[in-house]
Amino acid sequence: MTTGTEANRSAQPERPGMTDGVASEFTVFCKIKQGHADALREVFALMRDQSQLSRDALREVGTLHYARHVIFDNDTRLMFASEFDGSWDTYIDDFATTSIAKNFDMVFRHTEGFPGITDPNVKDWFVSQQEPALVFSGSYPDLTVSQIWKDQRVNESFQAVLDTPEFQAALDNPANAALLATPAFQELLDVAAS
Amino acid sequence: MGLEIDDIQSGALHHRPAPYVGKFLVLRVDDRHAGRALLRRLLPAVVGGLPSANPNKDAWAGVAFTYHGLRALGVPQASLDSFPLPFRQGMAARADVLGDVGESDPVHWEPPFGTPDVHIVVSGLSPDAARLEKALERARAAYRETPGVEVIWQQDVHQLPTGRTSFGFRDGISYPGIEGTGIPGSNPQEAPLKAGEFILGYPDETGNLPPMPQPEVLGRNGTYLAVRKLHTKVAAWRQYLRANTTSLDEEARLAAKMIGRWPSGAPLTLSPDQDDPALGTDPHRNNDFLYRENDDRGFKCPAGAHIRRANPRDANIIGAARLHRIIRRGTSYGPPLPEGVLEDDGADRGLVGTFIGAHLDRQFEFIKSEWINDGNFIGYSGEKDPVAGHHDGTGTVTIPQKPVRRRLQNLPSFVVTRGGEYCFLPGLRALSWLTELEN
Repeated sequence: MTTGTEANRSAQPERPGMTDGVASEFTVFCKIKQGHADALREVFALMRDQSQLSRDALREVGTLHYARHVIFDNDTRLMFASEFDGSWDTYIDDFATTSIAKNFDMVFRHTEGFPGITDPNVKDWFVSQQEPALVFSGSYPDLTVSQIWKDQRVNESFQAVLDTPEFQAALDNPANAALLATPAFQELLDVAAS
Repeated sequence: MGLEIDDIQSGALHHRPAPYVGKFLVLRVDDRHAGRALLRRLLPAVVGGLPSANPNKDAWAGVAFTYHGLRALGVPQASLDSFPLPFRQGMAARADVLGDVGESDPVHWEPPFGTPDVHIVVSGLSPDAARLEKALERARAAYRETPGVEVIWQQDVHQLPTGRTSFGFRDGISYPGIEGTGIPGSNPQEAPLKAGEFILGYPDETGNLPPMPQPEVLGRNGTYLAVRKLHTKVAAWRQYLRANTTSLDEEARLAAKMIGRWPSGAPLTLSPDQDDPALGTDPHRNNDFLYRENDDRGFKCPAGAHIRRANPRDANIIGAARLHRIIRRGTSYGPPLPEGVLEDDGADRGLVGTFIGAHLDRQFEFIKSEWINDGNFIGYSGEKDPVAGHHDGTGTVTIPQKPVRRRLQNLPSFVVTRGGEYCFLPGLRALSWLTELEN
C-alpha cells in the first residue's frame, strides 16, 4: 500500500489519495446547496431507475470498481466515494466525453461551487473537496476492472465446458494424459472439483 | 476564431520530409542579456506560417526553451510559475511517470540532459544537406557571435539509406489533421483535431482553452515539445526475434506483429498476412484504416502492437483516444546495423524523437504512462509496448491468434532513453517579447 504521492503510473503524481495495488480511492465531501437535497434525491432515484444506463456508462469508463453517493448531516452534505484503476485523474479528462459525465453534472450541480464537469478547473474543485483515506486496502489488489470482466467471461465459459459430456470424454482419453499431468491443468481440475 | 498561422513557428506543424537530414543543438545561456542578443540574431532564422503541403520543399529551423532556459533569459517568476507543473519540473523529474527507469534512468543520461544547463534547443530539418545548411546558417552565426551563450550538445540526424528506422521499419507515416491549417491528416477516416490540441490560445477537443502561460503574448501560438534521444538496441531486437521463431518468414511476421506494420509501412490491419510494398509507400492508403469494425480483437494488428498503442484510433479502449493525439516526429541518428548482423557492434544508434502538443500531461505523459508502459486500457494490465516499453527482461507480449493467443515471455528492453527535455516552442511575437525583456 502506498500513498498517491508515490504512485508511479500517475500523470499527476501530486494528487492526494491512497492506492492499493492497481486501484486508488477517491472520496469527496461536498456542501449541498440550501434546499437542494430533495432535488438531489430525485437525481439518485432517476439513476436507480436507469441502473442499466448507469452500468453501460461504467462499462464505457472501464476503470471504476464501485461508487456510492450518500446524503448526510441533516441533508446538508453529500459524500461521493469510489475505487478505480490507476490514478484518479488519469482518465478524468476522458470521462468528460462519456455518458457518465452527464451523471456527474446532474449530481454535483446541487452542491456548492461545482464548476461543471467540462470546466478546466473541475479537477482542482474535486481535489478541494477530497478527503484522502488513512487506510485503503482491497482483497484483489492485482485485478483491474477489465481483468475482472475477462475473468468472469473465462469462468462462465469454463463452467459451461464442464457441463459437456465431451469434456468428461476428453479427460478419460489416454491421448490427453500428458496435458492432464501438467501442473497448470491440475490446477484447472482442482478448481473444477467443486 | 481563425488560427494566427503566421505567428506560429512553422516547424511546429511541418511534416518530416523524406528523405531528411537534420540537426539538434542545445545551448546554455550564461548571461540573460547575451541570451536575448542571441535571440535577436536568431529571429530571422525562424519562419512562421503555414508549412507547404509538400514537406520535401522546405527546410526549417525551430527555437524552443526549457524552464531553466526561460529563467536564464530573465522571464519574470510570475510568468515562469504560470507554466504547467510537468514543464516546470522538467522531463528528468518526471522519470517515474514516463517509465525512464533502470538503464533509462536520468542518472545515466548523456550530459547535459536532465541538468539545469539545457536552456535553448535549436533544431533544423530539411530534405537535403544544402537546404539544412541554409536554414541553420543564421542560427550558427548567431551563437558564434554571442559570447555568454554556448553550444553544449549537438546531434546530427538523417534518414538511413534504407529509408527506415534502425529496427528496419518505414516510419513517419501517421500524423493528425489540425482544424484551421488546411493540411489534411494522414488518415482520411480521422476527423481533424481542434487546433487547441496543438497550439495554445485556441479551444481544444474538450471545448476549453488549454492552460496558457502568461502573459498572453508569451503563451499564444506556442506549443510544447518533448524531445528525447532514444538509443535502439537493434542487435537485441534481432536476437529476440530469431530466438522466438523458426524461420525467416516467421521472424518477419513476429516483428510486424510487434510493430503493427510491415517493414514497407503497410499496416497489418489492411494487409495481415504479408508485406505489401505498394500499399506501404502509398500515402493515400497506408494510414487509411480504423480498428473497431474489422479488427476489434486484434487478430490482424494486436491491441498491444506499437502503432496501435501509440494511436488506438477507434479501438475499444478505456478512455477517449482523441484526447491523447500528438504530433510525432522521429529522426534517426547513428549508422544502421548492417542487415543480418545479430551481434551488437557498440555503435550508438537510434532516434531523436520530438513529440508536439498543447498538453504535456494529457498527451505525451499520458501516452507514455498509460499506453506505452501499461496495458490496462486494452485489458492487458502491466503489459508494455513490445518495442518501446521498458521491459528489463521480464516483459510479455500477447498476440491474439486462433485457437489460442501467443504470449511471448522474458522480453528485454529494445529502446533506452539517453536523455530528453520538455521545451516550450513560442510563437514569433513571443520570441520578440523574450528579446525585449527588461531587467
